[in-house]
Amino acid sequence: MTKKDRKMKIRSKHIAMSLFTGLLMMTSCEVTELDITNDPNFLTPDLAAPDFFITSIQEDFARQLDGDVSGDPNDNFVTGGFQFGDGLSPLGMELTRVMQMSSRDYESTYQDSDVDDEWDNAYRGILFDIRLMTPLAEEAGQTRHLGIAQFIEAYTISSLVDFFGDIPYTEAVQAPEIVNATLDSGASVYEAALALLDQAIINFTNTASTNPPVELFYGNDYTKWVKAANTLKMKLYLQTRLVDPGAIDAFNAIVNSGDYITDTADDFDFVWPGTSAAQPDNRHPRYGLNYVSNGPGDYASNWLMNKMQTTNDPRIRYYFYRQTNEVPGQEIPADEQTLRCSLQTPPLHYTTGGFTFCNLPNGYWGRDHGDDEGAPPDGPKRTTWGVYPAGGRFDDDSFSPVSQPTDPLSNGGLGAGITPILNAFMVDFWKAEIELAQGNAGLAQGFLEAGITKQIAKARSFVSVDPNADLSFEPLSSDVTDFINGVVADFGSATGDDQWNILAESYFVAHYGNGIETYNFYRRTGFPNSLQPNRELDPGSFPRSMFYPNQAVTSNSNITQKANLAVQVFWDNNPAGPSFPNSN
Amino acid sequence: MKVKKLFGTLIFMLLCITLARSQEKTITGTIIDQTGIPLPGVNIVVDGTTNGTQSDFDGNYSIEASIGQTLVYTYLGQRPARRLVGAQSVIDIQMEEDAQALEEVVVTALGIKREKQALGYAVASVSSEQLEEKAEGDLGRVLIGKASGVNITQQSGLSGSGTNIIIRGYSSFSQSNQPLFIVDGVPFNGDTNASGRQGSRQDFINGNNGSSRFLDLDPNSIESVNVLKGLAASTLYGSLGRNGVILITTKAGAGGQGAKKTEITVNSSLFFNEIASTPEYQNQYGNGFDQSFGWFFSNWGPSFDRGGVSGWGNSTAFDSNGTLPHPYSTSAAGQQAFPEFAGARYEWRPYDSFGDFFKTGTVTNLSINATGSSDDGKISYNANYGHLKDIGFTPGNSLNRNNFGIGGRAVLSNKFTVTGALNFARTKFMSPPVALSQGNGATGSGSSVFGDLFFTPRSIDVLGLPFQSPIDGRSIYYRDGNDIQHPLWTANNAGTEQETNRVFGNMGIQYQFNDNLNLIYRVGIDVYSENNLNFQNKGGINGNVPQPRLASGIYETWNNTNTIWDHNLAINGDYDITEKVGTTFNVGVNGRREVFDQQGVASDAQQVFDVLRHFNFLNQNEIQQTSQRNLVGFYGQLEFDYDNYLYVTLAGRNDWVSNLSTANRSLFYPSASISFVPTKAFDGLKSENVLNYLKIRAGYGTSAGFPDANSDNFPVSNRLVLDTQDFQDPTGTNVVTNTSPLTLGNPNLKPEQVSEIELGVETRWWDGRITLDASVYERTTTDLIVQQPLDPSSGFFQTNTNVGEIKGEGVEIDLGLNFFRSQEEGGFNWNTNVNFTANESEVIDLGQETDLIVYSGFGNLGNAAIEGQPLGVIYGTRILRDANGQFVVNSIGDFVQDPQDGVIGDPNPDFVANINNTFSYKNFSFGFQFNWTQGGDVWSSTISTLLGRGLIVETLDRENTFVLPGVQSDGRVNDVQINNSDYFFNNILGNISELQVFDATVLRLQEVTLGYSLPKKFLEDTPFGALSFTVSGFNLWYDAINTPNGANFDPNTSGTGVGNGFGFDFLNGPSSRRYGFSVKATF
Repeated sequence: MTKKDRKMKIRSKHIAMSLFTGLLMMTSCEVTELDITNDPNFLTPDLAAPDFFITSIQEDFARQLDGDVSGDPNDNFVTGGFQFGDGLSPLGMELTRVMQMSSRDYESTYQDSDVDDEWDNAYRGILFDIRLMTPLAEEAGQTRHLGIAQFIEAYTISSLVDFFGDIPYTEAVQAPEIVNATLDSGASVYEAALALLDQAIINFTNTASTNPPVELFYGNDYTKWVKAANTLKMKLYLQTRLVDPGAIDAFNAIVNSGDYITDTADDFDFVWPGTSAAQPDNRHPRYGLNYVSNGPGDYASNWLMNKMQTTNDPRIRYYFYRQTNEVPGQEIPADEQTLRCSLQTPPLHYTTGGFTFCNLPNGYWGRDHGDDEGAPPDGPKRTTWGVYPAGGRFDDDSFSPVSQPTDPLSNGGLGAGITPILNAFMVDFWKAEIELAQGNAGLAQGFLEAGITKQIAKARSFVSVDPNADLSFEPLSSDVTDFINGVVADFGSATGDDQWNILAESYFVAHYGNGIETYNFYRRTGFPNSLQPNRELDPGSFPRSMFYPNQAVTSNSNITQKANLAVQVFWDNNPAGPSFPNSN
Repeated sequence: MKVKKLFGTLIFMLLCITLARSQEKTITGTIIDQTGIPLPGVNIVVDGTTNGTQSDFDGNYSIEASIGQTLVYTYLGQRPARRLVGAQSVIDIQMEEDAQALEEVVVTALGIKREKQALGYAVASVSSEQLEEKAEGDLGRVLIGKASGVNITQQSGLSGSGTNIIIRGYSSFSQSNQPLFIVDGVPFNGDTNASGRQGSRQDFINGNNGSSRFLDLDPNSIESVNVLKGLAASTLYGSLGRNGVILITTKAGAGGQGAKKTEITVNSSLFFNEIASTPEYQNQYGNGFDQSFGWFFSNWGPSFDRGGVSGWGNSTAFDSNGTLPHPYSTSAAGQQAFPEFAGARYEWRPYDSFGDFFKTGTVTNLSINATGSSDDGKISYNANYGHLKDIGFTPGNSLNRNNFGIGGRAVLSNKFTVTGALNFARTKFMSPPVALSQGNGATGSGSSVFGDLFFTPRSIDVLGLPFQSPIDGRSIYYRDGNDIQHPLWTANNAGTEQETNRVFGNMGIQYQFNDNLNLIYRVGIDVYSENNLNFQNKGGINGNVPQPRLASGIYETWNNTNTIWDHNLAINGDYDITEKVGTTFNVGVNGRREVFDQQGVASDAQQVFDVLRHFNFLNQNEIQQTSQRNLVGFYGQLEFDYDNYLYVTLAGRNDWVSNLSTANRSLFYPSASISFVPTKAFDGLKSENVLNYLKIRAGYGTSAGFPDANSDNFPVSNRLVLDTQDFQDPTGTNVVTNTSPLTLGNPNLKPEQVSEIELGVETRWWDGRITLDASVYERTTTDLIVQQPLDPSSGFFQTNTNVGEIKGEGVEIDLGLNFFRSQEEGGFNWNTNVNFTANESEVIDLGQETDLIVYSGFGNLGNAAIEGQPLGVIYGTRILRDANGQFVVNSIGDFVQDPQDGVIGDPNPDFVANINNTFSYKNFSFGFQFNWTQGGDVWSSTISTLLGRGLIVETLDRENTFVLPGVQSDGRVNDVQINNSDYFFNNILGNISELQVFDATVLRLQEVTLGYSLPKKFLEDTPFGALSFTVSGFNLWYDAINTPNGANFDPNTSGTGVGNGFGFDFLNGPSSRRYGFSVKATF
């Protein structure tokens, strides 16, 4: 071997070494790590905690009813769609003239995509979290967690039936095993809900290892939870009274037990803390949507304000806040700019029916059912939500715009309102309905009085959330008594449909803030027949249920869309639309 | 074969070397081309020896040769010339263009250089001349129209906004369709990052104002761009190359190959940048509704004339001089902020608020490039610097960029060759916010400077109305409820910024075992640190959905660090099997690591107005996202050629990816291509004046799509959400929650598969006067990775799954016509190049359980995949039809909306054609490029807003009535008369999306260039080697012929941002027109 050869050899060795090193570098370094499947941006499911789940379930339940404001990414709601804001309750309120509805056409307005997020929140936000929490809570002996979850599940699935009819339940929230859940009949879901409530009652009364650290309804008072569970059972029984001959007996059995919500102090409400406007927003969603510097987004319902104004309803200053005392065409000249319809003639079916059109006196600036005009510059003028239930301002004749940056007092109660869910007054109304349906008008009258009395007291108590209100504008207690006596007397002297109308109107007014109850009542009874009709003479049949959500129809091979909104849910055996309900 | 020849000559040379030396003399001369321009880089070889040289930049050469020897002059595209060395010592040569010899060498996958005629697939090349001295600093936009099959859309005309590049159509709807960028042989991240703390779900809604990161490249520093369109071309890149590859060689990366003389080139330009899409506003009517006055959003008010049915004289709102109470004297907010307007009057006349809002921006560009090499050519280098300052036409919009690059190569004595390049880019992009708008301010949680501007009624004096309250800084505007954010407030108090520092480069080491075999290792790094800022002072207004967080003032800063490490080790061989059969092969391994790391803070609730630091905000929230993915691939390519007319290439690659489960993470994709040159195979087929060249090619390629950040980087993982700010209890304490995630992890997810068949022909006729390069292809994507929506009743919102099939097919034609080719220097030349692209796609199958997937936009207004429909059809709300297909109209005469949404448009164009013309005469050159996009629909907020709010000339006829075609619900023919504003406002701008779809056919004058280069003789006594001046304009004119003229709408916009959505305009895309002047000097 020559010197040169050796050199060559050494050089080749060097080369081989360096190549080997290069290869080694490549293979040993991070580049070749091929097991990176876990997402570092999330927890893994084994780190779940029942205490964290139960708080999420409670919040999502409240949002199921009243939605949220701006599509907070932490919540299951996205903005957009027809409904301003989200949740089942505003949907029901719009349809029953408790809130204003701005469409001339039911069918093309309540689209399948509008209810996507309510459906998503119900299943993914509430039910699936319950499924994930249950084994952990069971293992830890956290029976209160389970009871609350069972209660919330019962309310959620029954209200889904109320809005959609048959829904996925027994096969629901079982991914990945089942991703195309089949529909269960509404009746069977109701039965399941009742069974859940029985279990919940057991879980509220047995021994629990720990209470949930955050319990937003009753502060861990489980005797109240038992009452709420029984009250929810009553609600379900009442709901099925048309199709289940045993329902009223079952309802009365609970009445006889006395273990249900009879006192407003035991009311089952979600109390919106109103401590933060963003990150997170925990204000009443209707407050958040309307108490903004550029003016409220909602229009108040002309039907409801007219009803309350003409009957001297003592709740009107609690329910509605007027930003002005002058409405075009009433106190001031008609004005094309701010109220276009003040220069228009009412449609024939308004005049023949004797309905108010366009404007109301005394600054009650709202809109008719079905008015779909664009938005004029009336933000500082519209009548908006008051102190009950949204936690806004008490109407003390200050007639100033809400939420002005220069005027901290214009923010009222900062959204510390409530979502009324199961209340003592509601139970009285249910009893009144049952008695009237059975022809016992006298008994019904008593319950009507009790219900109105409790509800007025409840609404009035909310004046305290607005720290700056001039309380001298509160109605006198004699005004309240006069009003109640008037309604009760009218009821007593009325007959037939008129009795139903009085009960129904009282029901609608009292349930301001809970559209699930008004929508259900309206479909159960068809009353009142005095509601302001849609601006459009023929807006289509009144929605007897909602379309299935778009995402469910397009993604779930076991759900096909309904033919139309006239499809009735299982407990609704009333005549088909448009002749029913009476006011369409 | 080549190698053998080389080897032979080598021995021959060694034998001759002493013999030759004794009779040598020096020959000098100048080489010019047929037009008289000096030719640098001509190879001059003494025939039969290896003694050779190259001509210098001025065409001069000098070589040692002996009498009786022959000098052979060769140059790409010129006929070889031979000269016998006689007594003379000066040999000047004028070379002739040789159409037959235009056999280019092109850079293909992994930087492998191959003769173009050997390729069985289409490659488009764009040279540095087509990239330099442009008014756009964005490489993507510079490439518009330069190659067939490449579709480039800008997000908007804002300087620095994102750019969408799609090669051969969309082939997936959940994976990225953006091409792979390879810079100097290593991957380069060209992503457009999702903005803000909400990630991509809300991205375009809240305004993704971010650049596409190929913006960090300076087009002036690029030597060449090759576009690999098909899968057969990009197999070696594996799954990354599935959407085509943009192969970029920077001047630094080219390392100054070629020229020996040190040469410095300076480019400097100044352009003006102005808005091109100013609508033709009408100036007859002002703010109001139904011809009566009001401070509306809309412009349906009285005439600016006093008399007439619509005159302001009929209204009590005006005084006798035609003035109104000043809006700040009547609105509460106006009075509070500006008490000085109490009692003031406001003049009722049209104001050019829109025109006055914008200004003319300037774009200045400087680029310096130095290149050189050692005398023996073994060491060469390049250094370049580029500076771009692009001031947009929108207040607050600018782009600033500095680029440095250095690179070189050294052939070492010990068989090693070392190459390296390092580039640094610093890019700063600033813009006012541009969130989605549908004609009434912004939707979502951002602001929009355009959303509040385009609809401005003619009688509103935007610039004359103070916008900011002196008390608390909040926005004040003309409406009583103060419910529109003043566009000037937006421009002054909100914005987005991106400041990016980026380093990218590579180092390669090659070892030459022998003439036939080498080993190459290359490592590339691309790291950028993108610092983002999104802010808005407190006091803003969102008129649609209250945004308490935005209104309280926001300040969000976050850094995106993206890193790509790329290692490549390959053995390349070149052997001749027989005299006629040659083979080359490449075998290698490639490892790539991608890490994206986002860290930041999102603050809200500003305390002191206009102080933009986190300490001045009450609440802080985290921004943190990390993703990483590793990919390892083994690849091989084998090429055979037979007698220089038949070439067969076989290639394959196997990739392993880190974000799928073990069973599914590996995929092999082969490809094969063939090229056949009949003009070489058959004698007599080729002739000078008829057929010069014919090549037929065919390729089959496959590739895969592995899950990426576009869909889900961790599609297998099971997640659980923890939220520390989900709610607060009544004491104001945050409540922590767990909740189930949106996405169901799918351990069975497989890679998506793509395959493509491609056929093509390349031919030249009539002495090269006609050239044609055409391809047809069919591409099939199967096992699509789909972010499949699940019915939430399953417990999840979506999952990643493999379903279905998409088929795309297309035609690409590049036609070159040399109408005039002067034989004399300075004669008239006219060359036309037409490229034509047509692409069609169809969703063949979506799996059994899914009817449709709306994958971009909103559920009720977006791009959808529907079986049997082209991919990306626009899905949205429709007009209700009766059983006979007639429109249904309600009792007040407006269309009724169908409760069921459906397909309302197809955004895929029928074809795209670009026509390039270049003329030259004497020292002048003139060129222009037309772009013609035929068909394709766009859902346009801009057009529907301008019509619906009564702003443009199409809405001038106001006193007549309309009757919509259709039937009433009872079946009778509709006869309800509606007025102009009802027609345009309730219907065109109303809830029915179908009425907002327009045909996006557009004809565009994309580019005009007039150049003059100083004659050589003027430069003789100057340091300049060459000096040229160019005047050019970009997007000087366009017409979307089937849209309302007054809207002056430019369909080159992508409202859904850079991604898979297309065919939407959400009032976010004014278009830019640029024109200016540049100088190029060589020293």
